[in-house]
Amino acid sequence: MRNLLFFVVIALSVSSSPASAGFLDNLLKPDSKEGRILSGATQVISSSKEIDYQTERTIGESLALEGLQRFGNPVKNESLQRYVNLVGAAVAANSKRATIPYQFAVLDSPVQNAFAVPGGVVFVSRALVSILDDEAELAAVLAHEVGHVSAKHALKSTQRAQLFQGVGTITAASVGGKKGKQFASTINDMQGVLFDKGLDKEMEFEADLAAMESTYRTGYDPSAMIRVLEKLQKLEASSKDKKGSWFSTHPPLAERIARLKSQLHKYPDYAAQASVRERFAQHAIVNK
Amino acid sequence: MRMTRSLAVLLALLLFAATAFAEEKRWVSSEGTTLKSEASATSENVADIKVGTEVTVIESGGRWLKVRTSAGKEGWVYAGRVSDTPPAGEVTGDGGLFGATLQQSQINTAKADSARSIRGLSPGTAQYAKDRGTPEMYKKSLDIVLARKVSAKELKAFLKEGHIGEYAQVQGGKK
Repeated sequence: MRNLLFFVVIALSVSSSPASAGFLDNLLKPDSKEGRILSGATQVISSSKEIDYQTERTIGESLALEGLQRFGNPVKNESLQRYVNLVGAAVAANSKRATIPYQFAVLDSPVQNAFAVPGGVVFVSRALVSILDDEAELAAVLAHEVGHVSAKHALKSTQRAQLFQGVGTITAASVGGKKGKQFASTINDMQGVLFDKGLDKEMEFEADLAAMESTYRTGYDPSAMIRVLEKLQKLEASSKDKKGSWFSTHPPLAERIARLKSQLHKYPDYAAQASVRERFAQHAIVNK
Repeated sequence: MRMTRSLAVLLALLLFAATAFAEEKRWVSSEGTTLKSEASATSENVADIKVGTEVTVIESGGRWLKVRTSAGKEGWVYAGRVSDTPPAGEVTGDGGLFGATLQQSQINTAKADSARSIRGLSPGTAQYAKDRGTPEMYKKSLDIVLARKVSAKELKAFLKEGHIGEYAQVQGGKK
């Protein structure tokens, strides 16, 4: 049975990898013959849980471009950006998906927010960095976003993105021209999820737990994730405009905090782990 | 009949052995993991071990574990760098040929991508930006973001400086 599955997958990947125009064109139309075949075949392919990494990266980078336009360019402070990349790389190395490259950047945005795009680019706003007190808290925020990338949450959130499963690498040719419309629609759907609607509630809880786990495994105090959420909770109480922030795109903070507290017993020596307050204060200098 | 019973006993024993054995296994799940001669980050390096490598735990000492690799190398590894399940990585396969091959190819892709990122946006993204008329400023910004890289050496130095994880001071590591 497994061999059969193997051959079906191989056959599909071989037949779909050349960017033969008509096939790829139709493949992206859910109602076409190829589209219907694909929707059946997706069952097989999703059993290997694979979407080509380069395709994932292309989707992610395109979303990153949209994110920059919406939230603002990266803060022009190389020391800060470098520091955020070091903290991010530390927790990413201890994430469930340590083998892909990750990049991190602080965006010049006054809204407390952070988001990750498929493939490993993670953004955090300067407003969110400004409410943090130590490196462990920054590590928690970045590890939460890495958790979304690891579990491919954004890709799993849109039906259209599923169409890219098993179709081979999306190239410049397949993004360009008429076919680009399908690709652009996918990016548009995903923007709606990432920037407006927010990911599924369970995905957020999953990323919170992943953050505790990978910060702890790195050697940071895992309760920092709880501290960040408590800070946001205080802000939420006094904030009128919640649009686009972690308040609006994430599930109720009280529920998230309660769930994390119930898991803290897994890390009995959590308080003995690193917080690194001084180094954070030296590097994380941002405007509110 | 007797034969069947012996076979059943043997099978049960084998199953028991396999379970007991499985409990002692760990998998390297962090990039840049090194086997150390002692339970300390400052001790000598025995060998570098790749993500996904299966190791057997021989001894446990707080947040450090003494392990043996399938190649017979023994040494200490920081507990945070291994997990009790194989890393999900790119594929949640059962470690069979299919899973291993796919995972390797994904790792190679990631590596190739890592090298590529010096050149900036992936070709597909560049095309998307062209079609959408994305302002040059944002393409340049993303280019810079993608070009930033952290080497294993820089990461180790960073963790050491912050006394984090395996570099924590004996009395706790809180700083």
